[in-house]
Amino acid sequence: MKNSLSIQGLRDSLMLLLWGGFILWLSFFGQLINYLHPSLQPYTAASGAVFLLLAIFGFRSWFSTIRAQAISQDHNEHRDHHECEHGHDHHGEGGGLAPLFFKTVLLLLPLAIIISGKATAYSITTVQNRGVVDNISKLPSAQSTAASSVSSAAQNASSTPSTDVSSVATNGSSVVAVSTSSPSNASGGPMPLQVIDMLYAVQMPSYRSEFEGKDVELIGQFVPMTTGNPKGDRFQAIRMFITCCAADAKPVGVTVQYPKPVNTSEMGWVKVTGKPTFPMEGGRRTAVIEATKVEECPAPKEPFVY
Amino acid sequence: MLASAWFTFSFADFQYAFLSILLEGLPFLLGGAILSGVLEEFLPQSMMTRLLPKNPRTAILVSGLLGVVFPVCECGIVPVVRRLLRKGLPVSCGVTYMLAAPIVNPLVILSTLAAFRGQGAWEMTILRFALGLSVAVLVGWVVSFFAPFSILRPGLISTEHDHDHDHGGSGGMLDRLQNVALVATRDFLDVAVYFVIGAAAASLFSTAVNQEVILPLAANPPLAIVSLMGLASVLSVCSTTDAFIAATLTTFPMAAKLAFLVFGPMLDFKLLFLYGAAFSKRFILLLAVGLFAVIALVCWRLSILNLAW
Repeated sequence: MKNSLSIQGLRDSLMLLLWGGFILWLSFFGQLINYLHPSLQPYTAASGAVFLLLAIFGFRSWFSTIRAQAISQDHNEHRDHHECEHGHDHHGEGGGLAPLFFKTVLLLLPLAIIISGKATAYSITTVQNRGVVDNISKLPSAQSTAASSVSSAAQNASSTPSTDVSSVATNGSSVVAVSTSSPSNASGGPMPLQVIDMLYAVQMPSYRSEFEGKDVELIGQFVPMTTGNPKGDRFQAIRMFITCCAADAKPVGVTVQYPKPVNTSEMGWVKVTGKPTFPMEGGRRTAVIEATKVEECPAPKEPFVY
Repeated sequence: MLASAWFTFSFADFQYAFLSILLEGLPFLLGGAILSGVLEEFLPQSMMTRLLPKNPRTAILVSGLLGVVFPVCECGIVPVVRRLLRKGLPVSCGVTYMLAAPIVNPLVILSTLAAFRGQGAWEMTILRFALGLSVAVLVGWVVSFFAPFSILRPGLISTEHDHDHDHGGSGGMLDRLQNVALVATRDFLDVAVYFVIGAAAASLFSTAVNQEVILPLAANPPLAIVSLMGLASVLSVCSTTDAFIAATLTTFPMAAKLAFLVFGPMLDFKLLFLYGAAFSKRFILLLAVGLFAVIALVCWRLSILNLAW
């Protein structure tokens, strides 16, 4: 039994060392951004450091237990007392080596997934299962943030009636990302936008007028359109919108009309250049980019919009 | 890939969601485990019985409100409750605190207010608080009629620290910190096993189930309530942010959103497994059925009375 307990003590410390090491490794190499909202990343990174600290305490205790076990038979009584005082509760419920092995394998599984390096983005399957959001009011976020973002975007647009702002805000919409891109481009090239800006413009006439007729450029993931695409010349450029972590990600998309074949795979990153239009389709206003150029591009540093 | 109209499974997506849930939940689980270690090392066993009111019913109510001043989210609550139970907290009070804390905590109140701004934020926040607390107290009251050993996981109390000895009496601060660390490690790894299984279940459903299949149910209040309770379980979103997701389910009646916001933090897929670290399987099953029935019925009644829109 004591052997089992000391193995468990060692297992616990090694496990925390591994978990802490992997979390810090993900954090150090900027990989947490693939999984978590920026506001949660510091907590996870800090937990990695705490894991290491706990592992150090665990090793310290384990070594003192091993040292106590090595003391001669004359000190057995003292050792047993020490075990009671510092060992029994902390070294688990016993139950033998089989459950310990099973639990160890289970706790190593997430680390194996991290090592595989394959779980860093969603495939088209989850996008289809969750459905692409093309209406800004279907996106979750804080209303108060929405209001301020809307105001700042409206100021950028320079001619926003207040009724537009309130109409968006009361729909529960939120566009945190919208304030990060301005609808003006000093360099004279295409105006850089986020996918989410286009959805936002659908609900705000004044914001819309800032885009219409101008060349814009946005980055998104390529999703073929299986419905509402009779001519076969449309696809969706999507971004994943998250509240906490990638598990709650919602695909946000804008329709792109482009007559030529797009040379990329499903969910591949593309840069779309073209003119935004906001036609009425199916009884409601939508956003469609009439693209002049669609090219493959590398994934952005921040894969999500917030 | 496994595929049907409502279920399409991608192993890579499953792994991705699984890791995301783990990385998000780990700090909170660890926080709960460390709090558990601190309680073990620094909270004398007799303190628990001295702090709680003598009247059992009042004690249950106070335990429900404990989350307001002692907030822990649903991931971190299980190790804390395990430790408090070992320290002598009555099971009824432990269950009440565990169910209520993720809902009555101030962060959750503020996030609900923010998320539902413009959609009856105060009504939703008050109803969420009141229903969450009432259901937790009701469950605690029912639990008080049962023997602790029929509810708790075998060996939870008897094998560990059911006798009162004080670590703090011996050794310096470093030794005491080491004791905190060892208890935290033990509790974290015990509960993490269940968290891993729960995160796997939640990831499977959140990535493989076509979420649009529930949309047609929105027009029928009872079905809408039940389907959003199911969705809350599937998504297993943290209670501090679930309101932002509920607020966007605009086609669903508010009563269904209330059910989503009360049922999710009490019993989502990951919690179903996490509770296994403290309670017997039979109790968890009964708890799941009871919570589902009570919350669904109350929300349905509210929808009929038009109190919850």
